[in-house]
Amino acid sequence: MRRRKVKQGFFPTTINQLKETLEKQFENNSDLMFSSFTHQGKKLAVFYIPYQIESNKLEKLLKTLLSEEKEWTSETLLNEIPLGSGKKTSDLQQILTKLIVGEIFIYIENENEAISYQEESREKRNLEKAETESLVLGPKIAFTESLETNLNIIRWEIRSPDLVLEELTIGKDLPCKVRMIYLKTVANDQDIQTMRQRLQDLDVDMVEDAAVLAQYIEDSETNLFPQLETTELPDRFIFEINEGKVGVLVENSPTGILAPATIFSFLKSTEDLYMRWQTGSFLRLLRMIAIFLSIIITPLYVAIVSFHYGIIPTQLLVSIGKSRAAVPFPPLVEALLLEFLIELLREAGARLPTKVGQTMGIVGGIVIGQAAVDAGLTSNILIIVVAMSALASFTAPSYLLGTTVRLVRFPLILLSGFLGFYGLMFGLCLLIIHMLRTKSLGHSYLIPVYPLNISDFLGVFIRLPIRYNYKRMESYHPKKLFRFPKKEALGKKHMKK
Amino acid sequence: MGVPRFIFKVAHQDAWISILVTLVWMLLVIQVMLMILKQYKNADLYGIQVDLFGKWIGKLLGTVYIFFYFVSLVTVYLNYIEVVHVFLYPTLSPFVMAILLAFLALYTVMGGFHVAVGISFIFFFLPQWLWFLLYDPISRMDFDHFLPMFDASFTQIMKGAKVTIYSVLGFEILFFIYPYLSNKKKVRRSAFWAVSFSSFVVMTCTVISIGYFSPHDLSDVNWSVITLYKSVSFSFIERLDYIVVVEWMMIVLPNLVLLLWVISQGLKRIYNVPPKYSLYIISAICVLLASIIKKYDTIHFITNFIAKFGFWLVFIYPFFLLLFVWIKKLLFRKESSQNA
Repeated sequence: MRRRKVKQGFFPTTINQLKETLEKQFENNSDLMFSSFTHQGKKLAVFYIPYQIESNKLEKLLKTLLSEEKEWTSETLLNEIPLGSGKKTSDLQQILTKLIVGEIFIYIENENEAISYQEESREKRNLEKAETESLVLGPKIAFTESLETNLNIIRWEIRSPDLVLEELTIGKDLPCKVRMIYLKTVANDQDIQTMRQRLQDLDVDMVEDAAVLAQYIEDSETNLFPQLETTELPDRFIFEINEGKVGVLVENSPTGILAPATIFSFLKSTEDLYMRWQTGSFLRLLRMIAIFLSIIITPLYVAIVSFHYGIIPTQLLVSIGKSRAAVPFPPLVEALLLEFLIELLREAGARLPTKVGQTMGIVGGIVIGQAAVDAGLTSNILIIVVAMSALASFTAPSYLLGTTVRLVRFPLILLSGFLGFYGLMFGLCLLIIHMLRTKSLGHSYLIPVYPLNISDFLGVFIRLPIRYNYKRMESYHPKKLFRFPKKEALGKKHMKK
Repeated sequence: MGVPRFIFKVAHQDAWISILVTLVWMLLVIQVMLMILKQYKNADLYGIQVDLFGKWIGKLLGTVYIFFYFVSLVTVYLNYIEVVHVFLYPTLSPFVMAILLAFLALYTVMGGFHVAVGISFIFFFLPQWLWFLLYDPISRMDFDHFLPMFDASFTQIMKGAKVTIYSVLGFEILFFIYPYLSNKKKVRRSAFWAVSFSSFVVMTCTVISIGYFSPHDLSDVNWSVITLYKSVSFSFIERLDYIVVVEWMMIVLPNLVLLLWVISQGLKRIYNVPPKYSLYIISAICVLLASIIKKYDTIHFITNFIAKFGFWLVFIYPFFLLLFVWIKKLLFRKESSQNA
């Protein structure tokens, strides 16, 4: 599209001319409200888009405007009407964009500029409970689509002048406000710089959502793993910012982006912190084992039953043999069939309304499962295995990682179906190499396992007791490594009595 | 995996002494290697040889190294595929196995040096749990098998040490990765630890094998180490040897990766072949060779060849190299003093 050139010196003009020009611009849009009147012998025009502005503010504005018995000029308007947001605009293009975002314009005939007041009204939803990342303990609120609300939440939680909320605008055609959030006394400068660079270098027409932005700025698109953490939980966002990570919030998106991430940060939950450390550690380890099991258990079943039944002790082998006796398919087909069924159930459950979803769970899970066994399509044991792997993949605190795990399973099942243990091992090695090749904001994805950092190592796998938790992740080189002094922490002196 | 048998064949119940001798020798060689490397600030062996012997001979020696590594690479493929073949899949085509291995190695090396190092690091730790399974063979060991001690003659022990070489080869890679290391002060300590650990592994396996098998059996059993695992079983799992064979891929893979990397580096440094092509070509040839060569005797022959070759190249040659470096330094100093 050819960019429309605004002819220089549009103002001063007559009210009628202005009206004509504006109406031409808003052709076929019946939105523009343009009213002109005469006050103290001067012609004035007020124009705005009705539903984008706060109507009672407009009334107030007009009341002050008309009650004064004097001749208005642009200068007096700016100086004497007590609304902070008064601005001069003389560029037609700017007037148009400002009209859209809810500014009220006043133009006095033959003046050099129009005066605008920002009185936008914006509909937003209220704060609600987190849906996708639900917690048992801890704060319940989730981010909303309103950037202002989200910033408000964050500002109230981190009441420190060190918190930086850099504003950037991304999108050529449909610009969108993006905030880069970090603690300037903690976060690593290089990480901040990398993130800023990536955001600034983006040359796209629009950013659909934070999740899309995350895909634009992540390190590698061909990689299977999510390389930036996304969360809808303000508390998680804030904890990670305090750890020295860089966050990004996007207008109109209830998702925050956090970087750098590691595979382990996807397995952490803020709830680990709210629990006492023993249970917190237990749950975190449980989750790690669960994810591993979820990836490996169905392929393992397929490999063992098709190739390596020698590995199973005789008694177990008998029961597996019995349950498989009526099944006409090879284990590979059987497993793929059932995994497919489970994926169907999940997807259907995610799409359906909640109330119907429960019924569907019962129908799908119990009825179909039982019927499949009775019909001799699958074995009981496989149903247990597949259900277990599905259950295990639900434990991932991050939905993104959960979906990756779901995806990874299928090639592994195929590999073990064709090549047994050898194929399975090949798949696992490939997965590890793939993880090693993954980067998040230029950092390794396997920190602190590789490159090894012993002091970070324990904190990743175990939720350390609070008094040992005095350190931020050394691997990321935060500006302030210690959260509180080590010595006092060890003596529990940080607790005032 | 099959070492204990070979060492035992030569040095009998005193095989463990042979391994100790090898260890001492290796520590010596590493010391020599570091002395050579320290003369140059940031050079690998390819560069050092060219500097010492001139362009032609230096490049020729570099080529010898590349050839050595290439054959080693092939033997790694051959030996692992052979084991998988015997223990897991008598029917699976070696071509498929080789191509999968080659794919993994390629994918790693293409990720750059740091991925190659990462693999070596992570895959070093992941199979360590296999140690725990050895409790069963250990509990069944018969310590009488070690008697009479110190029975083997000096030549027997030295021969045994020579046999050990193939299993501990690989530390000479230090010659090539040295320029990439950032903390050069720690190199010696780490190298010593690494070599000691690998000797310790070989030693433990040998000692357990000698104790577990009767002398007669041990001379007959190929891959005695895996056979050790056959006796381990739990109530929920039998035949752990399957798992060990597969887990061994994690031990084999770093070897493949580092060898592949060194070869491609050498080709780049000596012949200016971009790694992009050389990696593919080398891997393709390896896969081809690995799927063609099937006879146990041939594999054994090649492995023996590389062990002998390695003995001269890795255990003897560095001493001469150090000599040359010193001579050159002496000459150079004389020259410079004359000039002054």
